Amino acid sequence: MFRNYVKTAFRSLTKNKAFTAINILGLALGLATCLLIVLYVADELSYDRYNTKADRIYRVNEDLKLGNNNALYAVCMPPLAQTLKNDFPEVQDAVRLKQAGGFHVKKGNESILEYGTVFADPSLFNVFTLPMIYGNPATALKDPNSVVLTERTAKKYFNTTNVVGRILKVNDGQLLNITGVIKDIPKQSHFNFDFFVSMSSWADSKLNQWLRSDYNTYVLFKKGADHQAFEKKLPAFLNKYSSGEMQANLHLTMDAFEKSGSYFRLNLTPLLDIHLHSNRDGELSHNGTVQYVYIFSAIAIFILLIACVNFMNLSTARSSNRAREVGVRKVLGSSRKYLIAQFLTESVLVTLAAASVAFIAAIILLPVFNHLSGKELVINAQTLTWLIPVLLAIIIVVGCLAGSYPAFFLSAFQPIGVLNGKIASGFKGGRLRSLLVVFQFSISIFLIIGTIVIYNQLNYIQTKNLGYNRDQVLVIDKAFELGSHAKTFKQQVKQLPGVVNATLTGYLPTSQMRSTTIFFGDATADQKKSIFPQSWNVDEDYLSTLGMKITAGRNFSNQMPTDSTGLIINETAAKFLGFKDPLNKILYRNTDGNRDHGKRYHIIGVVKDFNFSSLRENISPVVLLLNEDTGYLSVKVSASNIPALIARIKRKWESFTPIHFEYSFMDQDFDAAYRSEQRTGTIFLIFTVLAIIIACLGLFGLAAYAAEQRTKEIGIRKVLGASVALIAGTLSKDFIKLVLISIAVSTPIAWYLMNKWLQDFAYRITIQWWVLVLAGFAALSIAIVTVSFQSIKAALANPVKSLRSE
Amino acid sequence: MIKITDLEKFYRTEEVETIALNKLSIEVKRGEFVAIMGPSGCGKSTLLNILGMLDDPDGGSYVFNGVEVAHFNERKRADLRKHNIGFVFQSFNLIDELTVFENVELPLIYTGVPSSERVKRVEEVLDKMQIMHSRNHYPQHLSGGQQQRVAIARAVVNKPKLILADEPTGNLDSSNGNDVMELLTDLNEHGTTIIMVTHSEHDARYSHRIIRLLDGQTVMENIMI
Repeated sequence: MFRNYVKTAFRSLTKNKAFTAINILGLALGLATCLLIVLYVADELSYDRYNTKADRIYRVNEDLKLGNNNALYAVCMPPLAQTLKNDFPEVQDAVRLKQAGGFHVKKGNESILEYGTVFADPSLFNVFTLPMIYGNPATALKDPNSVVLTERTAKKYFNTTNVVGRILKVNDGQLLNITGVIKDIPKQSHFNFDFFVSMSSWADSKLNQWLRSDYNTYVLFKKGADHQAFEKKLPAFLNKYSSGEMQANLHLTMDAFEKSGSYFRLNLTPLLDIHLHSNRDGELSHNGTVQYVYIFSAIAIFILLIACVNFMNLSTARSSNRAREVGVRKVLGSSRKYLIAQFLTESVLVTLAAASVAFIAAIILLPVFNHLSGKELVINAQTLTWLIPVLLAIIIVVGCLAGSYPAFFLSAFQPIGVLNGKIASGFKGGRLRSLLVVFQFSISIFLIIGTIVIYNQLNYIQTKNLGYNRDQVLVIDKAFELGSHAKTFKQQVKQLPGVVNATLTGYLPTSQMRSTTIFFGDATADQKKSIFPQSWNVDEDYLSTLGMKITAGRNFSNQMPTDSTGLIINETAAKFLGFKDPLNKILYRNTDGNRDHGKRYHIIGVVKDFNFSSLRENISPVVLLLNEDTGYLSVKVSASNIPALIARIKRKWESFTPIHFEYSFMDQDFDAAYRSEQRTGTIFLIFTVLAIIIACLGLFGLAAYAAEQRTKEIGIRKVLGASVALIAGTLSKDFIKLVLISIAVSTPIAWYLMNKWLQDFAYRITIQWWVLVLAGFAALSIAIVTVSFQSIKAALANPVKSLRSE
Repeated sequence: MIKITDLEKFYRTEEVETIALNKLSIEVKRGEFVAIMGPSGCGKSTLLNILGMLDDPDGGSYVFNGVEVAHFNERKRADLRKHNIGFVFQSFNLIDELTVFENVELPLIYTGVPSSERVKRVEEVLDKMQIMHSRNHYPQHLSGGQQQRVAIARAVVNKPKLILADEPTGNLDSSNGNDVMELLTDLNEHGTTIIMVTHSEHDARYSHRIIRLLDGQTVMENIMI
């Protein structure tokens, strides 16, 4: 019986090659997209799962509220890990990681700046699954100046992996003893380091301070431990250890602190949630967003649904051809069950064919998709172990879903009706089909609107006046390498023709370097009058180089010795502090932990707000201090011949240091910060185009169906003298109506949902009416073009032929 | 074998009710060859559809082989049909996607005959109909006469007790038409009951008895033998 199904299905499919091709092509497109998204989503969901104890590992976080200032940290206090291990029997182990920043590593005469460096406790290998190839994981990170390398780093520096016992020279002559080599950390990890230096090499790690946070701290629970119960015990724990310092610094008990509306709390994030659900200060890498996982999954399902709807519509479109077959089979004794099975077999076969095409297409398109998404997805034997079952499940589900409507629809034909040739007018069933078309087009229109809004928003972010000017600003990296010569270098660069100005600091709106300090509004360190701003060390050329505007007061000046305790605050900070006239107001800064030793600062100027974090967030308070910082040298240039100027600056650099000259342009750095959004926009655009193509394939088939169904009507109309244009119009009208309904359905939904998406951005566009009109117009034009092809074809057909076909 | 009594069938549209069969009573005995004649719209096809259990009557009784089937549901009728009745249509109604052999094999698949037995029986009947040489051809490559032979082969492969033929020669030239009538006569002589709807007096002469219908009622019966 099954062989018979397959045989008939195969022959019927090959007989109608055009229909079959449209069906397979549409489904294959949908499935290929779906496959790529499945790979993407699976990759996002696979983060940190390489850890065999992943379900028992949690990161400890710190939430701080001080007055009106909120901070969420992924980092905690230095003694926390060890104390948790001592105090709680359910904690099997705990480990701290502290990013070490840039290390200069010597390779022969070359000095390479490495950023993948971290200090780690010896317990690292008990908690995380980092298989050691050489060395003893139990002791590798015990002694000071020990380092564990990844395989690729060992190869990079020694051309071999067995390097235990050898010495790595770093920075200014520091020697690190290589005590282990581990396998490279999988890409799908929330941290990716190449140098694990023993924590004992870092003196600060021994500090017993409970009011500072700079260590990413992870705990490994014993099997069966209740992490929720553990979390409930944390407030008492924190109170026990930090109340002493709280008293000394703020003259407050923890209770009084909490009563004043402030808080200081610890909580847990499961390891497996870090990549998609955590976005705190002090994360070890740029994490993903679960929102995108949801959005892309939804798109995959939408596209697949559109493809399924096509399949249904095209299959029923062919039903008048198949009706007689159904009738004969029924007369000969086939039950409805058999017929349903037959049609389902057929659609599963088509889906199988489409899936094969899709699979090959996905392999071919993967590099392109990787390029767009910034991922490194691969299809290998390991991927196939889960991908093939997933694919088979998709084939069966889609096959049955897509085939269900035709199967039940066709198998319900009454044999006498179809055998007497009444079928063409015998079934209407058009309502469901219309509904399906409306569904498809609603999704397409939604995607069009979504794409336009996302593009507009990204464009807005990139062209918005950010409060500073990032054009023609050359950022020279690693100016700190020049040490005490940095200032001289800056002066010399400023002399060069074509250079407008230059400023020496690591704190740039586009850089990663940030620091926060607490300032108090009065000398008693009342935390209700505190402010917790970004506090950046800059020089007197900062504002003018970056084109920031002073709205009150003045800029820093070298001529004013008192400016060393002067502050320039941004408008938000002024608002936050509640100062109507902030100039000459005094702020106190706690420098050594004792509140009675507050240092006095006076406000000399207010700078117009400028944007320095994601435009998703509101501008927070900033305080600028006149202090030395040599992170970068930012140079505002006006020269028309920038390459020549860069060459001159490079020659100057080389006269100071042998270290490689590296630079970037500030506008590029800015773009880089929004790359993930841009990527999302591009991917969204591609998916939209795909969805529309698939929907049009379906409409194309449906128009053919309508024309076929109305062959006789067209013939009669022509015989009675209707023109081609008139007939094409009559045929297209029905579809246009459906697209208009789709516009009415999807426009408000799209408007609502895209507005919700925009709420995430502190600086956002409002959705213009023309976006909605444009999307509707685009969908309508595409539909008209698609449908008219079939309508005109039908209208041009010879009426004698169509009348005889009855 | 067949006894219908006061059979009624109506067709309703929104405004008009048409009576297709008006308290029609007919009896057909085992081994008979009956022709049904009458002008278009007299109810011939409706009668044949009801006799073939493709349609159900609105009133009256239909006893098939001693069993009252008028109230049977779709599934029971399908079951009875596939074991007892073969159909021959004016337009052959072969499935284009299946070869001659596969078309003839189809009823056997639906009645669950095992594969080896099917091959034997299909070959047997193809041989008898003298179309063995076209067994692997598709219907559209055959002449009308050959197609109707295939259709008859398909109708008889299950050895039905009754064959219902709806203008079996309507789409054929006279020579092929005569061949088909000879085949049916031959089947009848070997014991199969045949009920045939026809417009052709010539074809009707092959039968034992002609039932003439008008407006859903019997107006005349001619005994031919």
